[in-house]
Amino acid sequence: MDALGASSSDPKTALMLQVRQEAAITNARQLIEKLNEHCFDKCIPKPGASLSKGEETCFTQCMEKYMGAWNAVSRQYIGRLQKEQAAAGLSGGL
Amino acid sequence: MDASAVSAADISKLSDREKQELQAFVANESQKARIQQSVHSLTDICWTKCITGKIAGGKLDRTEETCVQNCVDRFMDANMTVLKHLETMRTTA
Repeated sequence: MDALGASSSDPKTALMLQVRQEAAITNARQLIEKLNEHCFDKCIPKPGASLSKGEETCFTQCMEKYMGAWNAVSRQYIGRLQKEQAAAGLSGGL
Repeated sequence: MDASAVSAADISKLSDREKQELQAFVANESQKARIQQSVHSLTDICWTKCITGKIAGGKLDRTEETCVQNCVDRFMDANMTVLKHLETMRTTA
């Protein structure tokens, strides 16, 4: 985290960096939390004495799939927001 | 995470212009965070609806992707319907 070392020379930039970093961490943490919840549900319906090879494969595939779904949702949602914003702009704003 | 990387003293040294810039930056970041929050909750909902089979590969297949896209759009339509209907209920009450 040495990017923050610039704080004394330029507090504004340092603060921006810090805010961005914290936002990114929160976002990642939330993604991981949800992904874990859903993939555990899917891949480990009956927890055994240890994690089997098959369960592990399922989990890594599920992870990738969940991230793919997240990206698909993000694209669709942001596209929709932009469309609605453009429509609102044409009709004279909200 | 070192929360004290930028001290209060550093902040008090900022010019008014810089403070304004920071305010705009934070407003923008908060909006981004709100949108990301919605994406998390939509992914949660649409995953349950659309990924119903066994996990057989790391990629979303075509059907799943279409389902997810429809899921997002219909969720927002439904949301809008609720708001519209609430409004009619309010005005006709």
